[in-house]
Amino acid sequence: MNFSSIKQIRAGFLSVAILFSSFVAVSFAERKPNSQQMPSRVTFSHDIAPIVFRYCASCHHAGEAGPFPLITYGDVKSHARQIADVTSRHLMPPWLPSQDGLPLDDDSHLSGEQIALFKKWVADGALQGNRDELPPAPKFTSGWQLGTPDLVLKATAPFAVPANGSDVYWNFIFRSPLNSSRFIRAIEIHPGEKRLVHHANLLVDRTQSARRQEGSPGSGFPGMELVLNAHLQPSGKAESIQPSIGIYFTNQPATRFPVLLQLDNDRALDIPAGNSNFLVSDEFTLPGGVQLLAIYPHAHYLCRDMLALARFPDGAEKTLIHIARWDLNWQAVFRLAQPELLPQGTTIVMRYRYDNSSDNISNPNNPPQRVRAGNRAVDEMAHLWLQVLPVASAADSRDPRMILQEALARHHIENNPDDFEAHYNLAAMLQLRGATREAVQQYQSALALRAGDAAVENALGGALLASNQIPEAIAHLAAAAAARPEYFDAHYNLGIAQATTGNFPAAVQELTTAVKLKPDDAGAEANLGAAFAELGETQKAILHLNRALQLDPGNGLAKENLEALRAAAPQP
Amino acid sequence: MLKIICVAFLFCAFGALPSAHQTVRSASAENLDGKTVDPFTSSGGRVVVLLFVRTDCPISNRYAPTIRQLHEKFQGKADFWLVYPDAGESARLIRAHDEQFHFAIPALRDVHRDLAKRAQATITPEAAVFDSAGKLVYHGRIDNWYEDFGRSRAAPTTHELDSAVRNTLGGKLVVPDHAHAVGCYISDLK
Repeated sequence: MNFSSIKQIRAGFLSVAILFSSFVAVSFAERKPNSQQMPSRVTFSHDIAPIVFRYCASCHHAGEAGPFPLITYGDVKSHARQIADVTSRHLMPPWLPSQDGLPLDDDSHLSGEQIALFKKWVADGALQGNRDELPPAPKFTSGWQLGTPDLVLKATAPFAVPANGSDVYWNFIFRSPLNSSRFIRAIEIHPGEKRLVHHANLLVDRTQSARRQEGSPGSGFPGMELVLNAHLQPSGKAESIQPSIGIYFTNQPATRFPVLLQLDNDRALDIPAGNSNFLVSDEFTLPGGVQLLAIYPHAHYLCRDMLALARFPDGAEKTLIHIARWDLNWQAVFRLAQPELLPQGTTIVMRYRYDNSSDNISNPNNPPQRVRAGNRAVDEMAHLWLQVLPVASAADSRDPRMILQEALARHHIENNPDDFEAHYNLAAMLQLRGATREAVQQYQSALALRAGDAAVENALGGALLASNQIPEAIAHLAAAAAARPEYFDAHYNLGIAQATTGNFPAAVQELTTAVKLKPDDAGAEANLGAAFAELGETQKAILHLNRALQLDPGNGLAKENLEALRAAAPQP
Repeated sequence: MLKIICVAFLFCAFGALPSAHQTVRSASAENLDGKTVDPFTSSGGRVVVLLFVRTDCPISNRYAPTIRQLHEKFQGKADFWLVYPDAGESARLIRAHDEQFHFAIPALRDVHRDLAKRAQATITPEAAVFDSAGKLVYHGRIDNWYEDFGRSRAAPTTHELDSAVRNTLGGKLVVPDHAHAVGCYISDLK
């Protein structure tokens, strides 16, 4: 009897998604001076407090990252000259983009008029003025800003921040206790001591590659992991930090699916020592229209000037974002005040300029050294991430996200034929849309770049299985399982491949391992049941098919095979 | 009664007279027990180093390990003092701060800004070095770690305070005698 088996190939995308952190915006009605002319008398209550409350207090209050509070007259007066100085040079509030790009959310660029008010206030003796004119001080909530999270994950181990020395970059890994998929509506990061954490990016690690880098034996955890990549600044005394992440669930599935579009040109990043104006550029033409939602430019300490522009099909150009004085310390995700439509055929242009001379005080090398692309602070990066919402096209029925992702992967391979992730992701997308032959080629290219990689061996085996090249599939799947014995997908796929050749004892062995690794997987249970049925071990078959139905009452394979077993059973 | 007034008046008049020996004029501040201390009289002819700091100034705090290292390096040769120019920072607050940052350097509250004036200090953190005659030979930044607010080098490449103390101890001239410090303005304080 032939029992059905699921030919669903298990493989994931390799890329990590950066979750765009949200800024908590506090808005206050700001009193603008009535006329262009400076008031004859500038006071804290009337002129300064409204600006400070709106632009400074959200960070400069107790418990926040600002090193001192700026709430009361006394607070502000005791830093008055410093405030006038740093605002006049646009060092504070920290806001990198110049005003020639798209309008952005939470733009904290101070106007010339506001800066002049600070200067005059200090020159006049930093007067308090009439207290009745003071607007109400902003109120801030302590603790979780979005209320009590549904799940709080704490970093597995604290990190000891030394008292002294240069900045530290540290990855905290969060084990997720979830064994089923949940929709997430929000995430809040509690970094611990905020003075130490300059910024942090939260990454989803679908392949648990971070855990392997961590070097701990911790295997057998279901689901994916979160990695908090934190930039820490020593405070002058030894401290310990152990961040938490608050997760808020929802039952509502997402309705919009933005894509992160990354422009980069790491191969072109090879900056000679002493070069003070080194250009790195990249261009990508959109295969379909998108709504641009947010921009995250990224480089390290040598980058000086960042420009991203859109060149429309008619040749017209528009600046998306321009940062004339890049400062890694104040990198951020910049959300557009409103989505910007970029039609099909628009070319996104990235132009970053680097200063690798000794005049650049941020240069981590003294004397300057040749610098190439890399993740360390002494290396450089040239990345431009755009969060876009692809627009469906009437001419192409395919998912516009997949069209965009495929074009991006091809673009990255064109820029850098040795881009492992681009080959891997392109292959996964090709496989999804049924272009199996090309998928196999791309997986082979990925494998050539990273021989023996378990994820690639598994995915290539899966693609070969789908194109009915069974012996080749079994060889690669076995290599994947040997490279990573705790790899569920590899054992599952190998079990299916063995079943396809009729080698049911081998199929039972692999699927039993798969079920042990992931006891809540209905597909693995159903296929194991089917394999036992093929071997005539009816009791075991029924046991596993029933388990599959307990895990997933709608499991068609388990139902079908149970019915077949009942029909085949001798009638009493 | 009359005599007393007279004496007091004379005293004031003398105090107001420009001193011919400004370099050895005393300047005092309070220690954390509230006692008046003059770091120059107690130095007994040793080199005096004043470090102007503030508990809430982040740049000043990040310099704590450097200040500690320099203090250890010159122990017994130069008298180091932490000087807090903010009258609003209580002795208790300063004690807690110094404990947190492991300072084993005596602290002074420069409530009347006598020391800041004598050291021509305008910023925290800022250092001032006085030779054995009490003459100001250097004032300014500790090193060039910070170029501006929020703009720092991975590590300093010049070490002004260290070389000022070394040169002073070796009887050499300190050049330059001033380098602009980056941090919080003392004049912002009450």
